[in-house]
Amino acid sequence: MTNPPDFEISAGGAVALPAIAIAQKSPSRLFWERFRQDKAALAGGVVVIVLILIAIGGGPLAERLTGHPQNTTYTDTMTDSFGIPKGPNSTFWFGADAEGRDLFVRTMYGARTSLIVGLLASGIALLIGLVVGLVAGFYGGWIDTALSRSADVILALPQVLIAVGIVAACSISINGCVGGLIQPGMTVVIAVIAFFSWSYIARIVRGYTLSLREKEFVESARALGASNLRIITREILPNLVGPLIVYTTLLIPTNILFEAALSYLGLGVPVTQSSWGSILTDASQLYDVAWWLMVFPGGFLILTTLAFNLLGDGLRDAFDVRSDR
Amino acid sequence: MQRHLRKTILAAAVLALAASIVVAAGSASGSKTTTAKAGGTYRVGWEGSFGFTDAFDPTGEYLGNAWALYSNLLLRTLVGYNHVAGAAGNVVVPDLAASVPKPTGGGLVYTFHLKSGIKFGPPVSREITSKDVLFAMERLANAKDGGQYPFYYTVIKGWDAYAAGKAKSISGISTPSATTIVFRLTQPTGDFIYRMAMPATAPIPAEVAKCFTGGKANQYGRDVVSSGPYMIQGMDSVDMSSCASIKPASGFNPLSSLTLVRNPDYNAATDSKAARQNLPDEFDFTIDSNADDIYNKVAAGQLDDEVSSPSPKVLRKYLTTPSLKNLLKQNVGDRTWYLTLNLTQAPFDDIHVRKALNLIIDKTGLRKAWGGATAGPIATHIVPNPMLHNLLSNYDPYKTPGSAGSVTLAKAAMKGSKYSNGDGMCDAAACKNVLMIADTRAVDKGMVPIIVADAAKIGITLKVRSVTGAYGVINTPKNNIPISERPGWGKDYADASTFFDELFASSTILATGNTNYSLVGLTPAIAKKVSASGTVTGIPSVDPQINHCNKLTGNTRVSCWAALDKTIMTTVVPWVPYLSAQNLNVISTNVTKWNYDQFSDQTAYAHVAVK
Repeated sequence: MTNPPDFEISAGGAVALPAIAIAQKSPSRLFWERFRQDKAALAGGVVVIVLILIAIGGGPLAERLTGHPQNTTYTDTMTDSFGIPKGPNSTFWFGADAEGRDLFVRTMYGARTSLIVGLLASGIALLIGLVVGLVAGFYGGWIDTALSRSADVILALPQVLIAVGIVAACSISINGCVGGLIQPGMTVVIAVIAFFSWSYIARIVRGYTLSLREKEFVESARALGASNLRIITREILPNLVGPLIVYTTLLIPTNILFEAALSYLGLGVPVTQSSWGSILTDASQLYDVAWWLMVFPGGFLILTTLAFNLLGDGLRDAFDVRSDR
Repeated sequence: MQRHLRKTILAAAVLALAASIVVAAGSASGSKTTTAKAGGTYRVGWEGSFGFTDAFDPTGEYLGNAWALYSNLLLRTLVGYNHVAGAAGNVVVPDLAASVPKPTGGGLVYTFHLKSGIKFGPPVSREITSKDVLFAMERLANAKDGGQYPFYYTVIKGWDAYAAGKAKSISGISTPSATTIVFRLTQPTGDFIYRMAMPATAPIPAEVAKCFTGGKANQYGRDVVSSGPYMIQGMDSVDMSSCASIKPASGFNPLSSLTLVRNPDYNAATDSKAARQNLPDEFDFTIDSNADDIYNKVAAGQLDDEVSSPSPKVLRKYLTTPSLKNLLKQNVGDRTWYLTLNLTQAPFDDIHVRKALNLIIDKTGLRKAWGGATAGPIATHIVPNPMLHNLLSNYDPYKTPGSAGSVTLAKAAMKGSKYSNGDGMCDAAACKNVLMIADTRAVDKGMVPIIVADAAKIGITLKVRSVTGAYGVINTPKNNIPISERPGWGKDYADASTFFDELFASSTILATGNTNYSLVGLTPAIAKKVSASGTVTGIPSVDPQINHCNKLTGNTRVSCWAALDKTIMTTVVPWVPYLSAQNLNVISTNVTKWNYDQFSDQTAYAHVAVK
């Protein structure tokens, strides 16, 4: 038996439609409705917010709670007579690192380093990629060829090897690289990561721009005499916001892992600055006698990348970026 | 009955005494002599790379690990060492020469008489003569042949003229007979006899080495002709009929391994058992990039010894496991690790700041980064105590409780500084963002936070740059590096001159490859020459004291160096010394005899044995 129809036909044959409240939904409302149904993405978002809060205030708060400044070494109490760190206890909740510093405080400060590197490097990559992609996609021709091939070259490079080379070269010199523009430490790490990341964004932006520039609303704007700059900034750019947010969110965890890898290789942030990657480097020498060095920063790293990835996936679905929708 | 009991007690006492003597003898030599026998292969894991400074060519090789191979196994010099631990290992003994000569002619002439019956190993296999020693000396003098310590021999008359190409021979070296060689010096040199025990002076056969000169000089390292009990495997197959036919010996691959086997031309009767026992039939040195792997293999008996540095966790394992304790060998390393302070750079151009830093640094904490007390005693002055016959064992001009640094004492020292406003802190702008060059080894990572935190306690904020290969940055004076935690210095031979000459003489301040990192003795003229800037006037000099001590001999000489050490520590203060390194070796249970060679600060391969 089939279900009865949910409308009735009156005697006169007129169809009486049920009263449906028709509400206009803005794109942002549509986005939010889709996004909030994705519980994993919501959880990811909450974790990301917590991590950002930790990055902002976690380090100082941890210092205050424990009374252990991040660079103070407690070699007397927190390393044994051979200099091997001691594990978690009531005052050192995550134990000590290889230098006898409070691992809890260092891990909290490490969040700041990881997020700063991840966000800044991704932000710079976003800006470069956006400009290159827009210009290449909008103008086409030889400009497109030149910029697109440049991005292809970057994509074809063995990233880790070259990153190691650049960071090592800039760190050996006292004044950094490029006349002191790139200083050893976090700056050079951010610069290197951004250098290798912009091409992904550029290719995506170029693809969208190629499609958008043929759309009717762009034709209309052009017919009305709008300048190229206005078309790019007022007509095309707003339509790129969704995809850009999505891809940048996915780029951030990749870059956080990139920084961890560079720090693991000894080429990341200075030794006085905490970073999850550099803690994991220490852990690689001591993991069999000091498990906590691997577990806590490693756990935070996994949690961070997972949260950003879940958030990015959720945003992608909610922004309707996927091609199969 | 009573008599019988007395006899029994007496017999037991005699037995106990005998047993204790045997045990004491065994422990004194640091080995289990009871089961040592000839034969077998002694297998050594070598971390990273051989690291040879001149591709194993003895003329230019300046690496202690290589010296251990030469002196114990491959090369014999006119005089040498017994290859044992402690002071006895620093005593020069006859080797090729029949005796250690006393200088004549007012301390200017040294005459060596060679023993007869000592031959080069294959493929040369002929008797060694005084001319072979002369050839080695000429090769060392010729800069094109890559010699790395010819400066020790410039006291020989005519050396400089030969080195400069102005003479065809070194006028101060003569060979009146095949078994006699005479050295004439330009000035009395109290440690000349030590210099003639260095591996570059070992005889070299011209018929082979003539093929290795100039740009390809160090290729001789692949075919070093033995004069000792062992040779590079495959040397007996090297065809020396022409230079073109000489190929590298099969037993040496610079990237992976070195195998030494018995030299069939070695005549043990010409050598001393006290110097070389030559028990294993073969020595295998194998490169392994992973230190953990090396120690695992030593523990598993797949290797017998290592050329590496045991990490703190390896040390803990061996020192806290009773059955393993005897397998960790700890010996005096004759090396001082220190922070170097550049006398031209603010705020370290002020002696009060340098003294304050000596008083604030937690040396015990720094030592923990090296593995704790096992790494060696805390250094309180420049030269390791054994090299000064322990004259300064109790000398600690910057003593603090537990050697952990003292804010009170450091602030008191800082008060007189021009950079302090009297509060004991380094207050001036010059005290902020002071550049410190660090290296990237595990120990550097461990030490940097301690140094940074300690310096901050007296108002010095350090800006740290971690550089792989920090020596390359700090050995160039024009970089004007104020402070570095990287340096360590080990002896070349057991005379303190090998510290003072190289580290504090103004003549050793070079534009590149400088080892006088603190620039002691710098004058405005030298500063201009090496492009150093900063406070280049009023830098203290110890040149006169160094020259004075260098002319002395015996105990007077040692006392002179000890006095100079104190002078430098109190009136110059170029360093913060923190560790007198011990050399640590982990050996396998296969090793039945082991000793330490104090000369090279490595395993005494001449006195090891395996099951």
